[in-house]
Amino acid sequence: MENRLTFLRTQKGWTQQDLADRVEVSRQTIISLESGRYNPSILLAFRLAHIFSTSIEEIFIYSEEEQ
Amino acid sequence: MKNPNNLIRKRYITGWILMVIGLLVLIIGILAELGVQSRPFNLRIITGFGFVLIFGGVGTVIRYRTALKDERAAKRILIDAADERTVMIRSKAGHRAFWVAMVITYALLLYVSFASSGSLPGLSEDLLWYILSAAVVIPFGVYVAGILIGEREQ
Repeated sequence: MENRLTFLRTQKGWTQQDLADRVEVSRQTIISLESGRYNPSILLAFRLAHIFSTSIEEIFIYSEEEQ
Repeated sequence: MKNPNNLIRKRYITGWILMVIGLLVLIIGILAELGVQSRPFNLRIITGFGFVLIFGGVGTVIRYRTALKDERAAKRILIDAADERTVMIRSKAGHRAFWVAMVITYALLLYVSFASSGSLPGLSEDLLWYILSAAVVIPFGVYVAGILIGEREQ
């Protein structure tokens, strides 16, 4: 799933490890999320949205075709 | 999250306990190999099990020793262990391994049923041992391969 994680993270000046620590996942999970290879659980999506003070839809771009 | 230091300390102590038990098992194994005349099975299994426990204990102690002093490292170890992506990859790999184990066991059961009725040749003890070993090793291999594939794909 496409997302704006890299953009939002770099805008805050955080490293992947910083973000991983904040949402309590491994750095590898952040790498996979940013590359679009891994789709997060609803809980992680909410945690990310909360961290960036935005909505899930603003971070993850859902596409019917991908499903 | 629970206090990471307490959990890390518990696991560190578990590592030491494993090492001590492993050492005892190893000594018992060596003494049995030297002293027992009539051996119902190869006593090296006991010695080998001792080594496995010792190495497991050493690995655990080394892993958690640095984390004991560094709270951030401790938190990271616990996060990595409960990481949702890792859990999902392991779960998928375990699912595959379970079905492989089921198929092998079912095939073996089927064969033994036919063999006992004389429709198929019987299995020697040696061959049965190898097949049962394969029923353990192959699913484990599938599990490890599943994790590696999952790590690459996800």
